[in-house]
Amino acid sequence: MFAAISLFVLLSLPHPAFPDTPQKSFEAIAREADAARQADHLIDALKLYSEAVHLHPTWADGWWWLGSILYEQDRFSEAQASFKRFIALSPKPAPAYAFLALCEYETQDYALALHHFELWSNAHSPGKGALLDVASFHWALLLTRAGRFNEALFILAAKAKQRETAPVLTEAIGLASLRMAFLPEDYPPERRESVWLAGMAEVYNAQSESRLSDAYAERLLSHYGQEPNVHYFRGILLRFQGNEDSAAEEFQKELEISPRHVPALTEWAASRLEAGYDSEALSLAKRAIEIDPQSARAHYILGRALLETGSFHESAQELEIAKRLAPESSRVRFALSTAYKRLGRKQDSEREQAAFLALKDKDNVLAPLGDKFKAPQATEHPQ
Amino acid sequence: MINQKIVVLLACSWALAISSVTGHGSTALAQQKPPATSSRTTPDFAALSDAAEKARQEGRNDDAIRLYRQGLSVQPDWKQGLWFLGMLLYEKEQYAEVRDLMRRFVAVEPLAGPGWALLGLSEFQTREYPRSLEHLQHVRAIGLGKQQEMSEALFYHVSVLLTRFEQYDAAMTLLMGLRKSGSSPDLLVEPIGLSALRYPLLPSEIPPARKEMFRLAGEAALADESNRRDEAEKLFSAMAAEFPNEPGVHFLFGVFLLDVRPDDGIREIQRELVIVPYNLTAKLRLADEYLKEEKFDDALRLASEVVQLDPQNPSGFMVLGEALVAKNDLDRGIAALETSRKLRPETVRTHWDLLRAYTSAGRAKDAKREKEEIEQILHPVASQ
Repeated sequence: MFAAISLFVLLSLPHPAFPDTPQKSFEAIAREADAARQADHLIDALKLYSEAVHLHPTWADGWWWLGSILYEQDRFSEAQASFKRFIALSPKPAPAYAFLALCEYETQDYALALHHFELWSNAHSPGKGALLDVASFHWALLLTRAGRFNEALFILAAKAKQRETAPVLTEAIGLASLRMAFLPEDYPPERRESVWLAGMAEVYNAQSESRLSDAYAERLLSHYGQEPNVHYFRGILLRFQGNEDSAAEEFQKELEISPRHVPALTEWAASRLEAGYDSEALSLAKRAIEIDPQSARAHYILGRALLETGSFHESAQELEIAKRLAPESSRVRFALSTAYKRLGRKQDSEREQAAFLALKDKDNVLAPLGDKFKAPQATEHPQ
Repeated sequence: MINQKIVVLLACSWALAISSVTGHGSTALAQQKPPATSSRTTPDFAALSDAAEKARQEGRNDDAIRLYRQGLSVQPDWKQGLWFLGMLLYEKEQYAEVRDLMRRFVAVEPLAGPGWALLGLSEFQTREYPRSLEHLQHVRAIGLGKQQEMSEALFYHVSVLLTRFEQYDAAMTLLMGLRKSGSSPDLLVEPIGLSALRYPLLPSEIPPARKEMFRLAGEAALADESNRRDEAEKLFSAMAAEFPNEPGVHFLFGVFLLDVRPDDGIREIQRELVIVPYNLTAKLRLADEYLKEEKFDDALRLASEVVQLDPQNPSGFMVLGEALVAKNDLDRGIAALETSRKLRPETVRTHWDLLRAYTSAGRAKDAKREKEEIEQILHPVASQ
């Protein structure tokens, strides 16, 4: 199905590397392998494809089907080797990167899996249906494990929005929501209930069912209010509902438990900024940057707060740092464009405005990086 | 506890593991044609195979493991090698390796129930729960052959996983079945408590501070199942007194009381809805009770709330339809029941409701179709 080279095309080509007799033998074996696969005789197909690629190691389709059957049988390390061979031989290996990454996930080569998911994302034919669904889910799990919680939640919440309510999705969302850099297979069992409750709260939040979301979030707070990240998560939910004052209280509570919690400080600053308390936002964002100078979001919030207080030069400086740390963020570009405009730097402002328009609506982590700077689609301002 | 039992059970013979597939024991197996990989078989393999078997029978497990590994490096599809190495490593709690071996084993022996069982049990230990449940459910479909001793372990693990995947009713049915088959109540109390209170946790994931709550719920449910009603009520009452603010507690007690003293049952479920206003299961159970008591307006209100909060809830539409039909609002009632049927076509009660509603509406043809549907569900073979 995903084979980049048609088997029939491939079989019609003479192969100079093989003398007559073995070539015939290869063709016969390949035909038998395909027939066995199509008849669902997978054990036979497996043996025949193995023999065929042994005879003809550059037969890309053979490696593809071999990998697919081994993957189907959960024999991931063997499937992994086959997909690697396919990728090396194929001019358009995009879907195979996803399969390779899925195999690497199973064999616990997590760094490689993450890398290959990223290659998959940057390619232009990610596949569709079940592959897209399964691969993006596992990619999100690995993003969570790598501490890239917002990117993970971006993927997972999109699934929840489509009214998917599978328990595995809830668990994955719970882990990312509570900023637990674990996989579902390896987090401490005593955290299971909190992960479930957070997952349910976020699933319902993604579905705009705020009453149900609140019910689970309150259950989470009642038992786990002293655990790190719980008040932060509650604050995020409250911000989503537009309840900035209550959100600020939750971020404050989080900081009592985790005094160096940069996301809590940053979101508290964002919340204050939204409510019009610019100087408070300024001070909170500065505190966040003191703890983590690499926080793009903290620099962005500080830049916006400075913009609001009329410190345009300092604002531009902060937003330039944010841009360097998060070059794909459309919001940073919009704010920077505004700061340059206030400083009278028309050309710079127009450049950032163009970048904003190009990046807008492409915050989706699945969008290839190259695509993000293409064809502007809208002229609206960010929220 | 259950895992120790599995280890003992795994000391079963190769014949039992494979006989569900071939119908033959090891002697017959030895007479089978060599596998297609036999071209790679060398005289060394036969010697390795004998030595591994001898070491295993003499209890020299480390030697046996080494020899089985060597044999499998020569002949990767060697079924006996895969099985016995898996068994020996399971005993040593090397579950990830057992899992990989059993994946290879079931690939060459896809109808071997014990192989799938060992695979699912290993995946349970490596915490790959979705896959574990899928494979253990597969064993339920294809059977364990002669190795029925493994069935307790199988059903236990399936039931706790069903609970973790929020399939509480199916889990409860299996757990009560295990009790009737003689499984120890000690083994079942916590899983039953979790399932009854509708918490998607494994027993090992129970928060220590609420272990007692799940124990009380489990013991009460077991007492109720054995018709020890007084004992059950004391236990439920103790649970509600000790954990008055925990979600699920008053609902569970209330459901029990509905059969004993319905008014008290209604009061308990109402308490549940004060604690968890959006407990849809509680709303539905209460609506159902109101239907029985012919309080149709109350039933209608609750069922409407359920479908508003969860527009994919088949039971919600079923109870809503029943309430509407009871209030003689046939058109809207039928529409709700049809939605329920669409969402979950296998529910017989919905078809009965529709049969009656269509009959009342003079839609004889539709009523006849519902009757046929009921027959099809209740007697699938006979109606084919």
